[in-house]
Parts: sequence; structure tokens; C-alpha cells
Amino acid sequence: MISFALEEEQTLIQETVRRFAADLRSKQRAHEKSGVDASFRKRYHELGLDLLTVPTELGGQAAPLVTSLIAHEELAFGDPGAAVALGAAQSYIEAVLQLGDAAQQQRLLAPFALTTPPTGAIAFSEAKMSTTDFATSAKKDGNEFVLHGDKSFVLGGAADHLIVFAMLDGVPAAFAVPKSSAVKPGERYGLVGLEAVVTAPVSFENVRIPKENRLCGGDDFAKNVRRFFARIGLTNAARQVGLARSSYEFALAYTQERKAFGKPVAHFQAISFALADMHMDVESARWLLWRAATEIDRDLSTAAEAIVHANEAAFRVADQGVQLLGGAGFVKDYPAEKWLRDTKALALFSPPDEWLQLVTADGELESNLATALPSCALQPFFT
Amino acid sequence: MIDFTLNDKQLQVKEWVHQFAKNVVRPISLQADRDHRIPDDFLQRLHNMRQMMSVGEVPREYGGEGAGATPDKQGKSQKNRFTLIGAEEMAWGDVSVLMSLPGPGLGGPPVEFTGTPEQRDRFFSVFKKPGLHWGAYGLTEPGAGSDVAAIRTSCRKEGKQWVLNGRKCFITNGGRADWVVIFATIDPALGRAGQRTFVVEKGTPGFFCGKIEDKMGLRASETAELVLEDCRVPEENLLGGEAHYDKGSKGGFMAAMKTFDSSRPMVGILGLGIARAAYEYTRDFVKDHYMLGRALPRYTQLAETLAEDKRLIDAGRLLCWRAAWMADEGLPNAKEASMAKAYAAKVAMKVCADAVQVMGAHGLEHGNFVEKWYRDIKVFDIFEGTGQIQRIVISKRILKDPPTFLMSSIHRAVITGASSGIGLGLAQRLAKQGVEVWLAARRIEVLKARGGGDRRCRRQSPRAGARCRRLRPHA
Repeated sequence: MISFALEEEQTLIQETVRRFAADLRSKQRAHEKSGVDASFRKRYHELGLDLLTVPTELGGQAAPLVTSLIAHEELAFGDPGAAVALGAAQSYIEAVLQLGDAAQQQRLLAPFALTTPPTGAIAFSEAKMSTTDFATSAKKDGNEFVLHGDKSFVLGGAADHLIVFAMLDGVPAAFAVPKSSAVKPGERYGLVGLEAVVTAPVSFENVRIPKENRLCGGDDFAKNVRRFFARIGLTNAARQVGLARSSYEFALAYTQERKAFGKPVAHFQAISFALADMHMDVESARWLLWRAATEIDRDLSTAAEAIVHANEAAFRVADQGVQLLGGAGFVKDYPAEKWLRDTKALALFSPPDEWLQLVTADGELESNLATALPSCALQPFFT
Repeated sequence: MIDFTLNDKQLQVKEWVHQFAKNVVRPISLQADRDHRIPDDFLQRLHNMRQMMSVGEVPREYGGEGAGATPDKQGKSQKNRFTLIGAEEMAWGDVSVLMSLPGPGLGGPPVEFTGTPEQRDRFFSVFKKPGLHWGAYGLTEPGAGSDVAAIRTSCRKEGKQWVLNGRKCFITNGGRADWVVIFATIDPALGRAGQRTFVVEKGTPGFFCGKIEDKMGLRASETAELVLEDCRVPEENLLGGEAHYDKGSKGGFMAAMKTFDSSRPMVGILGLGIARAAYEYTRDFVKDHYMLGRALPRYTQLAETLAEDKRLIDAGRLLCWRAAWMADEGLPNAKEASMAKAYAAKVAMKVCADAVQVMGAHGLEHGNFVEKWYRDIKVFDIFEGTGQIQRIVISKRILKDPPTFLMSSIHRAVITGASSGIGLGLAQRLAKQGVEVWLAARRIEVLKARGGGDRRCRRQSPRAGARCRRLRPHA
């Protein structure tokens, strides 16, 4: 039909999150220093933002993915760092929804609907870049699996609940791993962007988990893992749009206030054309994401290009956002430099653009250039 | 509801026009390009099938029959979206053919939006007659293209007639049009307010077709120069009648601009139709000529280029759809229309250049479609407002866009403070008002460290006080 009209509910969510985001923004620098505080986490949970796409019977709002994208764009417009930190459990929840069966969803997601939800994360990336396989292994031992290996770039470090990807009898598999003494977080990485977010390597030393904790991924494990990555990738890309929009709006306001040669610098075409291009980047990225999100249940193919586009557009915009402020863009008095650092980090939160482009190319060329799963052989990435 | 799938009717139009473009239009494309013309019998054949297409439409009440002419269930127009769907497929076949389609063309919108009922009836009824009929849009002049307000073609009233003098250039279908919408001015000094819009009919004494342009691309499309020498036009042909131009209104200028709201997304999608054709052609070439299944993926860079091109086409298409959807919804869309056109033209040029590159020497051969599309695409960043003009339109409007939030209060205040040197006073006031903002806090720190004071700053910027009062923290 072709329509860009928001449902009433979507407008409501957008406005609510926008108010929340205004408060997030006022604390941007504080988040960078010491993380997001509990009051924000509480409010995030109370607004139901962490369970937006979860079915109602599991305590969620059963909203379509595109609604979640709208919310995450607004959150990141407030503060990209806080948006990621607050949304950390989202990846865990999505993984359970996409890869777990009904009983597992019921059991594993129940704690997340409680008043004080636990933290959750994905352990996917590995520092070893030997093959497309994971070095982390799982072995069956009676009614249990024994997990052993090292993971890197785990969001939140040792979260209360982790989904761990490992090789089981030569094929990739996923396991829900609760916190235990055998799950050992390493030292937190020092990041150049998104400093509000904790990421760390995690070691698994013969972690024993019950056999019910293996997520089989329904009919087609590889396909559902791809769907999972597409869903969290799109959500993350929506943050790129929010970030780009804030950088653009800041530059728009700044260049109208700053005067040179007797008029606002925004009235010089070198500046105003750049602003126009930034605006086009923001908008085109958003529409591609919306399309991919509305089509994702039928067709996974458009998600890859939408994510790549958002990553590229956001970097261009954030870069211009610094440039248009001149020296003010480079100093920490202004937030433009933060957005430029943050956008690079966000771009590493899903499989790298190069891999995603190959996924698109494979669909078009009927070739087989990308591996079945997002590969840690190409580049490790945050999850 | 956010939705980017085509409904059954749209799919039907897309599929039908695509088959037509592929099986009927594409085969004559290269020959028409060489001959600088499309055979009349071919155009007649197109004309006979036009009700199946949804492009270049006559409004429904004047006999238009395209799929998009009927409003949807909520009574909203679907015309712009249908037009885009059909137009992309036709441009995929050959854009010159589409531009040569008999019909009102770009002359349609001004007649439709500005014309009186009598005028609409009179000028659209031409297309019901047997034979091939065109309308055209005469705005550009040798000395005024992008700057519409600078046109010099003059008009003066003499009795019940208007006398027109001047020259128009680069007018699509200008030579063969039954009538041309001509923009003229009663006095250039009046600027936009002096502009008047006329429909000048073929055969009017003093109205001639000058040379037909020889162009780099779109060679099969007719681009004409039109000359008006003491051309007398009856007063009934002043679009909208005298009342439309009352007391220095900008009716004439607005008629010219209104056309662009629906034509720019359309031009954007035409460019993308060509780009898609070039992309698909190259993609199939790569599929046939490269061994993509090799164990070592040696052609990943090529694959990445193609993936990027596909993505950019998709991104451009959504911007065009956005503008068209807004037009259908009756929302003001001048900014979006310009964004659609500017973006689509930019990416279409890149895609066509990539196509030539990927095909190597084959891409340069005459008789290769890619070579033709590479020539055709350039004009899409020029006509209907150059890429630069689009960016002027966009930036004028975004400078007026209301900020999402905060900009109106916190950040704006701090920006004002920082760039005009209000300094400490403003920052402290903001803090007192309970505005939590790291920036304000930071400025206080900085200014304290510098020992900066209110008085010094106010001296630098006398208006600062007034500005401060306007600033309020957000709710």
C-alpha cells in the first residue's frame, strides 16, 4: 500500500520515549563517566521498553519490531550510550524468542517481567580468528552440557543470564547460561565510544548447565540465528538514526546561532548544503530500517542493507556534525565529538558492514560469499 | 500503518508495466536513441494502451483512467504512489519513451491545480480526441532556469488579449505539444508577484518552435526551443483567470512551484528506474561472467559494490515514496519532494557509473545499454531543478524545522550563550531554573576558571539579555 503513517499507539510510544530521552540527554556526560544509574533503569523497565516486542502472555507488549525501532531511535536521540546500556537485556530476550521453544521462553523470560529484572547478554564473539567455527565448545555429559571457552566483547560483562554460542559435535549451538562461579568476566575493555556501556571478555571454565538450556532454534537453527541478528541489528541501527538525528539537529541549531561575515553561518551554502545532505542521510536510513522491520517476518533480505545504510549514514552525519561546529565540534564542551565516537562503536554492535553487504550480494547474485552465520572470522563484534 | 508492500492493484500495475517495458519498450530503446525519435506508430500503440498505465495522467473527471485515478477507501488520493510505481518500470524500459508519451505531461499539474473548471475542461478534452496529443511546460529561458523568479518573457494586456514576447528553451515535447503552459511576467521588477501563467495553443500566430536540441542523453525525447513574437493569446487562456493574480499575489509563481511537488519525486523515481536497469544489467553480467562460486571469494569487492548500489537504489526509492505518500495525503511536501529528487539523482549517477566500470570495456560500447544509461542519467541531476537547487529548497525549509526537543531550551540556550558570549549569567540562570544539563554545568566551570563575568559578556552582546528571557527549560 505504501504508507508512512504511524499508528496512534506508535505516536504515543514515540512521545513517551522522547520525554524519557530528554532526561537521558541531560545526563550524557555523567553516563560516560559512571554508567547509567538505577533510576533510569527502573523507569526504562516501568515503561515496558525492554519487553516491547515480547508476547503479552510473557509480560510484554507484543509490539511489532518497527515500534521498537521508533522507541530506540528516540532513546539514542537522547543518549546513545544510555540507549545501549539500558537495552542490553534486549539481545538476550530476542535470542530466547527467536531460538527457544515455548517452554524455554516461558521459563527463561519470566524473571525479566519481574519488578526488578535481571541483566542479560549474548556471548558470541571470540578473540580467536581461526575459522568460522567457535573455539568455545560444548559437550554432553548425562543430563548436562559442559561449556568451555573464552568469549570477547560481551555486553555488560558477566550478566545474570547469557546466551552462549559454542560448537556441539561440530555444529554451532546456543545455550542459556545463568550466572555462576564458573562464568568469569575479564577486565572491562576501555572503549573510545559508548563509554556508558560495560563490555568485557568472559571465560567459561567447564560450566555445567542442564540440557533444557540448549536453544535449538526451531526448524532451522542457522536461519533463526540470522533472524535474531537481523532483529537486534535493526534495533541497534535505529539507534544510529537517533544519534545521527541529534548530531544533525545540533549542527542545525549551532550554525544558525554562530555568525560570520554578518550572517548566521547556516546561510552560507557550504554549510546549508551539508545540512541538507545530513537530513537526507537521516531520513533515508530511517525509511530503509522501517521497511526491513515491517518485512522481516516474510523476508530477511532487506535487513542487511538497511543496517549498513544506517551505519554509513550515521557516521557521515556525525562526522559532519563535528565539522560544522569547527573547533567547538572537537572539544568536550559540546556533544558533537561524543556522537562521532559513539557512532563508530554502534557500528560494531552487529555483524560488520562488509559481511552484511555480502549477504545482500548473495541474495542478488545467487552466490555464496557470506558464511551461514555471522562470522567471527571476519571481525569480532559486540553483541 | 507503516507499510511498504505493494497491494494487489499496485502489484498488478507494476507487473503489467514491467512486462510492457521489457517486451515492447526496451527492444526499440537503442534504435530510438540513435534516430533521435520514437516512431509515431509506436507512440500510437502506447497511447492505445495508456489506460493500463498509471503515468502522465489526465484527471479522472476528464477521462483519466489510470489505476491511481481512484481514491482509496478513506477517500485519499493514491495517484502519486501509483504514478511512481508505473514510472519506475517505464524508466527501467526506456525513459525517453516515457517522456514522449502522449498526454498533458508536466503541463497537467498547473492546469489541474490553477486552471478554472472551464479551462480544465477545455485543455484536458484535447486528449479525448483521436490522434496523438501532448501538453508541455514552458518555464526555462536562456537566462532563467533554476531562478524561476528571473524569467523575462513578457506579457501585456491589450483589450481582450495578452501579448507575449520571449524565448523558452529545453521544453520537453515543446515542438509537438497541442498547448504549452507558458510562464511570463508583466514586469520583471515585480519578481514573483509579476508572474502570469498562460496556456498557449499550437498554431497561435507569433508562437513558433525554434531548434530541437541535440543532447548527450535522452536523445529520443524531444527538447525544443519555443519563440513568442507578439504572440496574442486570448484572455480566457490566462490560467486561473485574473482573480488568481489579485493584488500582487504570487499565483503565477506558485503555479510553477506546485508542479514540482508531484513532479520531483516522479523525476527522482525515473532516475532510479534507469539506475535499477543498469544495476540489474550489470548484476546479470557479473553472474554470467564471473565464477562467484569459487572456494576463495575473490570477487567480494565487486559484490560489495553491487550490494551498495542496490541499497542506494532502495534508499532513494523510499525517499521518493515518502514524498509521493505525503502528496497523496495532502501534506505539504516541498522539502520531501526535493530530497527525493536530489538523493535519487545522486545515487542514480553513481550506480550508472559503477555499471560502466564493472562491465569494463563492454560498458563503453555504443549499442550497449549501459553506455546509453550512463549518458541518460546525467540530466536527472539537472532538470526539474538541479541538485544544487534542491539543496537550496531543502536547506531553506530545514532551517525552519522545529527542533525535536531541548534545542528550543537547553542546548539552544547554551549554544546562544557560547556563540554570542553571554556566558556565566545565562548558564547560572539555566542552572537555577533546575535545568540539568552537563553543558550548562560545564560552561559554569569553564567560565569560573577563566574568571569570566557577566558584565564583560553583556557588553559584547547587547541583545543577550533579551535572548535570555526567551529561553525556557523544557517541561
